[in-house]
Amino acid sequence: MLLALAQWLAQDIRAFSVFNYITLRAVLAAMTALIISFMLGPWMIRKLTAMKIGQAVRTDGPQTHLVKAGTPTMGGALILMSIAITTLLWGDLHNAYVWVVLLTTLGVGAIGWVDDYRKVVYKNPDGLSARAKMFWQSLIALAVGIFLWTHATLPQHTEVIVPFFKHFAIPLGMVGFILLVYLVIVGSSNAVNLTDGLDGLAIMPTVMVAAALAVFAYVAGHAEFSKYLGEPSIPGAGELAVFCAAISGAGLAFLWFNAYPAEVFMGDVGALALGAALGAVAVIIRQELVLFIMGGVFVVEAVSVMLQVSWFKYTKKKYGTGQRILLMAPLHHHFEQKGWKETQVVVRFWIITMLLVLIGLSTLKLR
Amino acid sequence: MNTAMKMKKRITFALGEAHIRAANVMTTPDANVRFWIITMLLVLIGLSTLKLR
Repeated sequence: MLLALAQWLAQDIRAFSVFNYITLRAVLAAMTALIISFMLGPWMIRKLTAMKIGQAVRTDGPQTHLVKAGTPTMGGALILMSIAITTLLWGDLHNAYVWVVLLTTLGVGAIGWVDDYRKVVYKNPDGLSARAKMFWQSLIALAVGIFLWTHATLPQHTEVIVPFFKHFAIPLGMVGFILLVYLVIVGSSNAVNLTDGLDGLAIMPTVMVAAALAVFAYVAGHAEFSKYLGEPSIPGAGELAVFCAAISGAGLAFLWFNAYPAEVFMGDVGALALGAALGAVAVIIRQELVLFIMGGVFVVEAVSVMLQVSWFKYTKKKYGTGQRILLMAPLHHHFEQKGWKETQVVVRFWIITMLLVLIGLSTLKLR
Repeated sequence: MNTAMKMKKRITFALGEAHIRAANVMTTPDANVRFWIITMLLVLIGLSTLKLR
């Protein structure tokens, strides 16, 4: 909205043309999202506390987490509100990609919201059934896949771009492409949700990965930079830098309240939505494999759960008693069981994400 | 001069902004992370000077 206003004002006052620059709007979006979250954060925490929207802690989890019971949850609504307002203010609303990522984020956020609401308000421990959650997530992801396939104008818009290789891309047919979009969005959404088990553990890697994706989006949308760096050129994708910057700003402000000991948790409404947002941006700018590298912590957390559950079921069927690979899943609980303090696990996972993001960013140049 | 005026007074509970916060209401990790966030913002502002001229 502000871009349209600035463009209108620029007809008489040339100085307003400066708002046409994506880089400036991305910086302003980060700042705006940050300020909105800082301003609304304390109010929202008070509201959630007053409404007794407190987190239920899993009884089979670490004993040290029992003190967290009752901490306000569904704080992810604050992040989503902040991202949506900021994107509507600073994004180019004529850009279809902006609407794709925004609607995907809010749509998946709505699924998480229903799940959280049933759990904490109706005291239904199951929340939304896993099948229903997967159905709605799949519907949104498939809609994104079909949209991107029908709007692709160049072969490279539907190819898998392999990092570190300049002239190597895997062409996908319609089914393959839509399947890939589906797997990335649903996988990323659930992986971030599984990671969200310790104070600040999910949000900081999300902030870092979103910031890096902003750089990739900017490059993809810039004809000269993308050509120079050998990245796919995707006209219009640069606007996603504004969206990614909004995620980073809102996430950083949320971390202020979510740092150990957390005053608020993001809940499924935040975790599912942020994961889907990262996945949606990655598929649009054709950086799924780079997201896989940069979001390595999310990937490992999700894989740890899959392996633990599969191995337990397999051994139970074969030997009668289930065996475990890890002391506890997801992986962050395993390290807690090994004696690491919660803050140690969190900061060490952040450090690993920083390294992975650096490796991801290096793929821009190393080809 | 009365005793109260002779007493040496402190402006803050302890020296160093982090200690002040920790002594006041925040826990140590809380204060740490919030100072990191502030540093990140300052770094962002610093980096934005590359473009905003």
